[in-house]
Amino acid sequence: MRKARLWGLLWTSFILELQGAPRSEEIKYTRTEGQSLSESCPFNVMKYFSIRKAWQRLGDRGEIQTLAITDRVSGQSSKVHVDRCSLEDIPTEGILHVHMTDLRVEDSGLYQCVIYQPPKAPVLLHHPIRLVVTKDPAQDLAQRSTLPPVTTKARVKTRTNPSPVTQLPASESTAGLGVNPTHGTDVLSMEPRISVISTVTIVVCGILSKSLVFTFLLIATQRSFGR
Amino acid sequence: MSRLCALLAWALLALQGLGEGATEDEACCGPIVPRREWRALASECAQELKLPARYVVVSHTAGGHCDTPASCLQQAQNVQHYHARTLGYCDVAYNFLIGEDGLVYEGRGWKIKGDHSGPTWNPRAIGITFMGNFMERSPHPRAIRAAKSLLACGVARGALLPNYEVKGHRDVQQTLSPGDRLYDIIQEWPHYRE
Repeated sequence: MRKARLWGLLWTSFILELQGAPRSEEIKYTRTEGQSLSESCPFNVMKYFSIRKAWQRLGDRGEIQTLAITDRVSGQSSKVHVDRCSLEDIPTEGILHVHMTDLRVEDSGLYQCVIYQPPKAPVLLHHPIRLVVTKDPAQDLAQRSTLPPVTTKARVKTRTNPSPVTQLPASESTAGLGVNPTHGTDVLSMEPRISVISTVTIVVCGILSKSLVFTFLLIATQRSFGR
Repeated sequence: MSRLCALLAWALLALQGLGEGATEDEACCGPIVPRREWRALASECAQELKLPARYVVVSHTAGGHCDTPASCLQQAQNVQHYHARTLGYCDVAYNFLIGEDGLVYEGRGWKIKGDHSGPTWNPRAIGITFMGNFMERSPHPRAIRAAKSLLACGVARGALLPNYEVKGHRDVQQTLSPGDRLYDIIQEWPHYRE
């Protein structure tokens, strides 16, 4: 009886290891104030041709704020403008283009494209978008004495985010930083160090979790065979 | 005896854990029939793809099928002729063509934008096609193997993002391509995302 349970445990861990479900990784964009963000979220042409789509912002506590929703007249290409956001739905191409202009520091946060079908829960399209908007370095130079701690802290916080993050090529994140070389180098030199720390953290966590599973099962086996 | 079995199970578990680290980019790039070999007409295309690409679109030619290197070579020529001479494209529309002979035929390749899935998807996806019509019939397993090997190669070369997504042609355009049977198959691929 005990042996059967042990085998069950072993096979369960086998299956759990095999599953490795695809995580919804964030895509990160870094911008300076005044710049824009463009992203394209694919959706399945067959399933969502005539269904409304939305652009939402996720708060720190998981609360959802819907910023823009596509037109009610669905099944045709449509474009809606709300505030500084525009949403273009092209059902024949299975794509939703999002455009946010005149970005501000307060716009920093997590966003997502979804299939909007209340009362049913929204369906996530594409990947969650992590947006980081920093102050214009030219402006920042003028206000250097009061602002720098806030700016740097914000960057550190987002980069050590434990969930996997796809970073875009350097050209994306360093756009606009060329204006003030000193400020640029400060920020750039922090990046490799912080990404190494987060990589090391992830690797160590992976090894630790696997060793925990092995240790537990080892003890269980020892106990059984000991009898 | 059961002690041995338990030890074996442990060893396999450990290997599984290690195996997870062994990613696709350790695959060697398999053989691809180059354009010269299948006697392709010269390409007149100039637009490049921004790499690494995030998407792969799988289609079928819905045309004649082939299952030998000789017949698939001819079929690749036929497809290119139709696209370049009849439809007026700068080259065969696809980045790569897969034959049921189990070989991959070089189309526009990794670097040049294809004309396989419309103006939205062509600049953001690698288009691979299976030569034949797969509504009622599945492609031979060696064709599937060739396609999978090709995509692993794409990751290894940095042409595809490691977390690239596979889409069926019908997922991104209004079409029956890649055919019901082939569509069923690709939906089971690990990188498939609807």
